[in-house]
Amino acid sequence: MMEIAGEPFAQKFDLYTCMQCGKCTGGCTVSLKSPLNVRRMMRTALVSESSDAVLGLKELWDCTSCGTCTSRCPRSLDPAEVIFGMRSLLIEEGRGVPKTIMEALESTVKNGNPWGRSKMKRTEWLQDFEGEVKDLTGGATAELLAFIGCTPSYDPRVQDVARAFATVFNAAGVDYGILGNEESCCGSEMHAMGEEGLFEMLVEENIELFGGFEVKDMVTISPHCYNAFSNKYSEYADVNFGVKHYTQFLAELIDKDGLELSKELGKVVTYHDPCYLGKHNSIYDEPRKVIEAIPGVTFVEMERSRERSLCCEGGGGMMWNEGAEGERTAVVRVRDAAEQGAEIIAVACPFCMLTLEDAVKTAGYDDQIIVKDILELLAESL
Amino acid sequence: MEIVVCVKRVPDTSEADVVITGKDIKKDDLAFEINEWDNYAVEEAVQIKEKLGGNITVISVGDEEAKEVIRRGLAMGGDTGIRIDHPALAGSDSMAIAKTLAAAIKDIDYDLVLTGAQAGDLGAGIVPVALAEMLGVPHATLAVGLDIEDGKAKVKRELEGGLMEVLEMDLPAVVGVQTGINEPRYVSIMGIRKASKKEIKLLDISDLGLLPKDVGEEGSLTVIEELSVPPVTKVAEILEGDPAEAASKLAEIMKEKGVL
Repeated sequence: MMEIAGEPFAQKFDLYTCMQCGKCTGGCTVSLKSPLNVRRMMRTALVSESSDAVLGLKELWDCTSCGTCTSRCPRSLDPAEVIFGMRSLLIEEGRGVPKTIMEALESTVKNGNPWGRSKMKRTEWLQDFEGEVKDLTGGATAELLAFIGCTPSYDPRVQDVARAFATVFNAAGVDYGILGNEESCCGSEMHAMGEEGLFEMLVEENIELFGGFEVKDMVTISPHCYNAFSNKYSEYADVNFGVKHYTQFLAELIDKDGLELSKELGKVVTYHDPCYLGKHNSIYDEPRKVIEAIPGVTFVEMERSRERSLCCEGGGGMMWNEGAEGERTAVVRVRDAAEQGAEIIAVACPFCMLTLEDAVKTAGYDDQIIVKDILELLAESL
Repeated sequence: MEIVVCVKRVPDTSEADVVITGKDIKKDDLAFEINEWDNYAVEEAVQIKEKLGGNITVISVGDEEAKEVIRRGLAMGGDTGIRIDHPALAGSDSMAIAKTLAAAIKDIDYDLVLTGAQAGDLGAGIVPVALAEMLGVPHATLAVGLDIEDGKAKVKRELEGGLMEVLEMDLPAVVGVQTGINEPRYVSIMGIRKASKKEIKLLDISDLGLLPKDVGEEGSLTVIEELSVPPVTKVAEILEGDPAEAASKLAEIMKEKGVL
């Protein structure tokens, strides 16, 4: 029997309920180019005589954790979690794990981030920032914890988004603070990559860290951090804080006239739904509301949007893994945006930013389309 | 096969602003890890054990925190751990460390001792050679291939300029392992937790028949006088011309430097 920590997959994921309809495979982001067949994985997890059945299933690493399979399952099962569970067997075996994934995991153990960067450089993004940001670890207090996240902290492009976050929240007069170099990975991608022990460890450490600063409310830049804190942590520990993605926080602020936007953007903007806001959390309206509040925005929807949106392939550890060969779905997405005459693809996720910005170049639209985080658009229109 | 693997816990200085404090660097803010070369040595030991059976002892000279790298070795497939600790060990050079390791290893009925070819912190590369000499067994360094057959070790050694040397040695022997000899497996956090049930024996230098004067600065052949950060130099050459031209220039340079 295939087991996870002594519990059969069949029981843990309710696999007898699966009727093998194949909607999961039908909706899968990568099924056109990867041998990954989610329906078959559901079956494999149910009928295999031992956990060894996962050995050699390289395609398990092609899953982007978009959650389309889970959101479309007519039996309300969670095929995405089954894949993560099967990955965890490979992780425990220590074999058949792509080298770049191993490096990301080892970096997270060592440095608290998957980017191979030093823990002591986490606030590097603040170096070129002129405004003031309170650091709770330096003794300051604040009503709201701003959880910056690994990618906005370290990636040179996404550091712009972290600075835009501070610019916008400062302009709105929000009382927030950060955890400086003590902030650590939320663990979202570690869970998706199947490193359950590491995820549990991060949950414990983060809960203790937040408790120490009496965090009551939190806002995140990344939907992946948001999803981990909002949905996953409570499966492992008592969660005593509330969490919002910044688009939710700002949509409420805009409702209360708490954010003054004056400069006209004058651009045609479309919005790419990040899977961890959309499919995983059904947050579709708030980001659109925020974008439409920006003066001079002509908002257009892509043909596939909201729950039908196409994943950018940045989740599930794919930021550290080559994945299936073939055309990147981010490239398809850029063409979708171009079809609507969009000049700006607005994103609300660090991974979407990186995959789509690459795809704009690959698809040859770099003189026509730019990718901006919603926070950057807001900062420009203040 | 009775295999002993020597491991060391070293700081990661790749992105650190190195601060020198006397004869050492400031380590408070640094992340620590298993010495990269030792990670390959442990993997090699586990692969030999998987093929031939046997027992692996993971050994380290170091304080309480060295347990971390021993436990990691046990999680990879090691069977028992040994940690050697004593205040007098502070300031030991590679020779004194080799002396300490040799004193512990001589009591084990070993066939093979694996170490990393060097350590990421001091980079001396002395331990495998000195250890073999003290144990009175043959050695090979910079091993990029290792086959055990009929009580002999066939070692592929990496030499300069892409040359390889193949040695055959009688066992027992000491082999200093170079990176790239294998692909070290992933060691999960759960695996490390499970391995914490395996025993890590703690030995004092007196258990090894050593006196404080045998180790530390007194028992060392080298003493660090001073540390300094090397000056940053800029050797960058921008290759001009169209891509084809630039590429052939690049290829020439790489050939010249022995990369190709």
